[in-house]
Amino acid sequence: MASNTDTVTAVRPGVVPVRKATRRGPSFGLLNALSHLALVVWALLVIVPIAWTFLASFKTNTEIFGDPWTLPHHWGFDSWGRAWAKAHIGRYMINTIVVVGVATFGTMVLGSMAAYVLARYRFFGNRAIYLMFVSGLTFPVFLALVPLFFVVKNLGLLGTYHGIILVYIAYSLPFTVFFLTAFFRTLPTSVAEAAMIDGCGHMRTFVQVMLPMAKPGLVSITIFNVIGQWNQYLLPIVLLPGDAQDKWLITQGIAGISTTAGYEADWPGLFAALSIAIIPVVIVYIIFQRQIQAGLTAGAVK
Amino acid sequence: MSDNNPADITGLPADPDRRRLLRHVGMTALIAGPGLSMIGACATSGTGSGEPSKTVKAGGNAANPFNVSPTAPLDVVIFKGGLGDEYATQVHEPAYVKKFPQAKIKHEPIVEIGKTLRPRFTGGTNIPDVVANSGTDLMDNNALVADGQLQDLTQLWDAPSIDDPGKKVRDTVLTGAVQSGYVNQKPYLLNYVSSAYGLWYNAKLFQEKGWTPPKTFEEFKTLADKIKAAGMIPYGYAGKNASYYQYWMILISAAKIAGNQVLIDIDNLADGAWKNPAVQQAAAAWAEIGAKYSDKSFLGLIHTEVQTRQNQDKVALYPSGSWLENEQKKQTPKSFEYAVAPTPSVTAADKMPYEAVRVAAGESYFVSAKGENVPGGLEYLRIMLSREGAKGFTEKSGSLTIVKGAEQGLSLSPGLQSVSNVLRAAGDNIVTDNRFELWYKELETELRKQTNLLMFSGLSATEFCDNMQKAADKTKADSSIDKQTRSA
Amino acid sequence: MRQGRYPFIVGMLAAPVTLYVVFVIGPYAQAFYIALTNWHGLAKAPVFIGLDNFRRLFDDEVFWAAVRHHLIILLALPLATIAIALVFSFLLNVAGGRAGRLTGVRGSPVYKVIFFLPQVLAVAVIGVLFQAVYRPDTSGMINGLLAKVGINPVGWLTEPKLALWSIIGVLVWQAVGFYVVLFSAGMASIPQDLFEAAALDGAGRLTLFFRITVPLLWDTLQVGWVYLGILAFDCFAIVQVLSVDRGGPDNATTVLALETWRNAFTYSKFGYASAMGVALFFLTITFAALTLRITRRERIEF
Repeated sequence: MASNTDTVTAVRPGVVPVRKATRRGPSFGLLNALSHLALVVWALLVIVPIAWTFLASFKTNTEIFGDPWTLPHHWGFDSWGRAWAKAHIGRYMINTIVVVGVATFGTMVLGSMAAYVLARYRFFGNRAIYLMFVSGLTFPVFLALVPLFFVVKNLGLLGTYHGIILVYIAYSLPFTVFFLTAFFRTLPTSVAEAAMIDGCGHMRTFVQVMLPMAKPGLVSITIFNVIGQWNQYLLPIVLLPGDAQDKWLITQGIAGISTTAGYEADWPGLFAALSIAIIPVVIVYIIFQRQIQAGLTAGAVK
Repeated sequence: MSDNNPADITGLPADPDRRRLLRHVGMTALIAGPGLSMIGACATSGTGSGEPSKTVKAGGNAANPFNVSPTAPLDVVIFKGGLGDEYATQVHEPAYVKKFPQAKIKHEPIVEIGKTLRPRFTGGTNIPDVVANSGTDLMDNNALVADGQLQDLTQLWDAPSIDDPGKKVRDTVLTGAVQSGYVNQKPYLLNYVSSAYGLWYNAKLFQEKGWTPPKTFEEFKTLADKIKAAGMIPYGYAGKNASYYQYWMILISAAKIAGNQVLIDIDNLADGAWKNPAVQQAAAAWAEIGAKYSDKSFLGLIHTEVQTRQNQDKVALYPSGSWLENEQKKQTPKSFEYAVAPTPSVTAADKMPYEAVRVAAGESYFVSAKGENVPGGLEYLRIMLSREGAKGFTEKSGSLTIVKGAEQGLSLSPGLQSVSNVLRAAGDNIVTDNRFELWYKELETELRKQTNLLMFSGLSATEFCDNMQKAADKTKADSSIDKQTRSA
Repeated sequence: MRQGRYPFIVGMLAAPVTLYVVFVIGPYAQAFYIALTNWHGLAKAPVFIGLDNFRRLFDDEVFWAAVRHHLIILLALPLATIAIALVFSFLLNVAGGRAGRLTGVRGSPVYKVIFFLPQVLAVAVIGVLFQAVYRPDTSGMINGLLAKVGINPVGWLTEPKLALWSIIGVLVWQAVGFYVVLFSAGMASIPQDLFEAAALDGAGRLTLFFRITVPLLWDTLQVGWVYLGILAFDCFAIVQVLSVDRGGPDNATTVLALETWRNAFTYSKFGYASAMGVALFFLTITFAALTLRITRRERIEF
């Protein structure tokens, strides 16, 4: 449908009725066509590999290793059955939703608490604590991996949701605190002062006045955190090791499937499993895309 | 032997290290993905200096060499993975009970060996007598030995064989199998399953075309020309994640030229080991095959992709080990029948004959030194090493054992039959396995890289040897790497 | 008014700071210490060896190859991503002027949804996806297309000169959509009158783009550059899944994260690996500081 739109626009450049449009002349039409072409090409670049994966799940090994640009001969869901039954994609998906849901919520609660205080209160150590959080943005996770493993293990949290959730929260804090502090600073001071004068305590001012005002920023940082934690790969590998397999997250599941499929040379099964992992995410994304974009728009600008 | 591979942490798609860890048997059903066996396994590796294993009281006879108490119960833990556990419940355990009818066997099929057993070993309670230490959650054998948990198996290897009391058990198994279970110069492990390495091909296709596997590199090239003319790629391995398949071939060829000592020197980081003319000759021979008879695209493929292409008769000869048939079982078309051939001889003056083949033993079984029934454990392993025990194992699990010729008379799958034939033809001409692969991962990583350069990018054999020697010297000089040695 | 102020501050900061110190700062501090030891194996005690590991880094060609790759990625990834994203977001927001109003071209919302899609796919999924895209023979998506027009297969990931660029391509592919949305948000906040006034004066779209959009978006661009730079210092998963022999062929694609990982978990050289991690840390910090300094200019108020 995208290509329809652009042919239409491309063939009638003169229709753009901006005042003095005549001065733009024919070069504008060419530019218009080119820009549509670029957009369509990029859209295809994004969609085609994903669509190909989906189609490949219906192919046989021979077809997958033949001409990549043919359709499958036979549309059967055997490979999907295999992928679903063996790969436990459903379970990993639910695990991930639980972990990411709780961790993101925790991140937002703790992050906004810290950010609010750091942004609006002057006290000894404010700057130091702020810098401590922000410096975390530059730490390569690798560096911490081995010591982190032992910290979590010594706390008895290895292979538990509690452990991974706490770690997710801790590692999301730098980013969250950095942005929310900036956001809280931009909010007008007068409202908070008025609230305090009206007798609101610090806590009530925070919860009932400031948090609602910061909603756009909170929404957008929440989205960042959900995406970031959903894609997290290293931390779960280390903190939910093989013997906690029933607690695995989706990224581990996919890596696992692709290993298993790799061994058994079950390529259709691999692509079916990938499709199973992709489709729900894409559906959720499409349902919420308006909110996601609006959230980013509201929060990211300042 | 390959069971304490620390590289297993990186469980990304088609992780070759995991594959290597599990390569000895068709445990494909179990490979579940990323794990952390290194860190997990090391959790128990305390500082325990270890007490020496008990020596079981002598004075037994050939029928009961370890003086097993006929009433003592025996606790057997079997890893329930790709091999199943029927071989234990239907073959080995009944044989034990038949011998000691009053003994009660406690059979424990376990998937997560480490998770289940580690607390029992560290706590010193409820220690099983016999353990199949396998799977993704196996325990670190070195740590167990350091902790004094494993029984020295010297007595077992020196005991009379069940089938022929005139022979010691150690003489009934394949050459090198006993040594493969050494930790700190002592036999603590029984590596029970044997894998043979060579060039795999489609027997049906070869028969149809009138091709025979090459016995010399000259024959190899002649055949490859014919294969090329038939529109196939004569030879290929997966450069992306399995270049070790290729360096195995190079090192096997080197050993055939000048004997196993070449490989032992390499493992011991002996000075100039990689510059041995045999290594260079072998590298040059294989480089020519790579340059003329392979395809550069294989550098970017993973092993299963190449294997799938072989199943489609797009590539004729593929270097691999005897797990291959099992691994491809579900995907192999009817027109494809796996068969294996030894690597061709490089020169007419090769020290080892064409028939020589590399065999590696894997799947560790051990007897717990601190268990309640050490003699019973040893006897159980002796039963496993009997002809009947081994035959039953092959029947139930579809894998060959280290017991010489035990599979004879069984109807085997074509690939397994072919391995059996190759092993019989080889006799005592066994090419030894490489230990440096596990001892010195950094050297191994360099070898993978150099192998790909040699086979695909025109690196000369001399440069290959120079680069490897440099890497070996660097490993030798690196004080942060623990050195190990082998004598045979 | 001051009543309860300090208890409030402490109460708000206690949980986030504790969590952060335990799981983030603690492990990193340990890592810095480990970098000064020869720790090689979990069962052994680390021995302090001062700066030896760093001295060794200087002679390690693989380390320098990785650093070189980071510099290339550091330039290419943000440049390509930001350029593409900027052009697209301009087309999607400003270029389609109709009826005197400057809006996006037709179908803009659809494009935005599609472009953002790769962002919601897990890295593991993208890795497997691009294996099929780049496969070195004619069964690969790209090579299959090339074969149709009679071009021999290209070794996207096997040619040492090409491999790194192929990997950068994947990173750009994934990142563009996010920045399109981010920049669109920025553009939406540029007052319409500015564009309309300029259009009235006869400014073409190129002028609108270079004279108005880019300068007014400078802050957002700068933030984008820093993010992408930090991404450039990671890219572990993609390299590990896609490259030949993990970082090959012949170290042509290796990155510091991969070498850190390899040294720690394959070679058990935790001390040396930590030293690499520390080097990576200083590189990241230097980059962030430099970027912020170089790109600092007067903020344009509107």
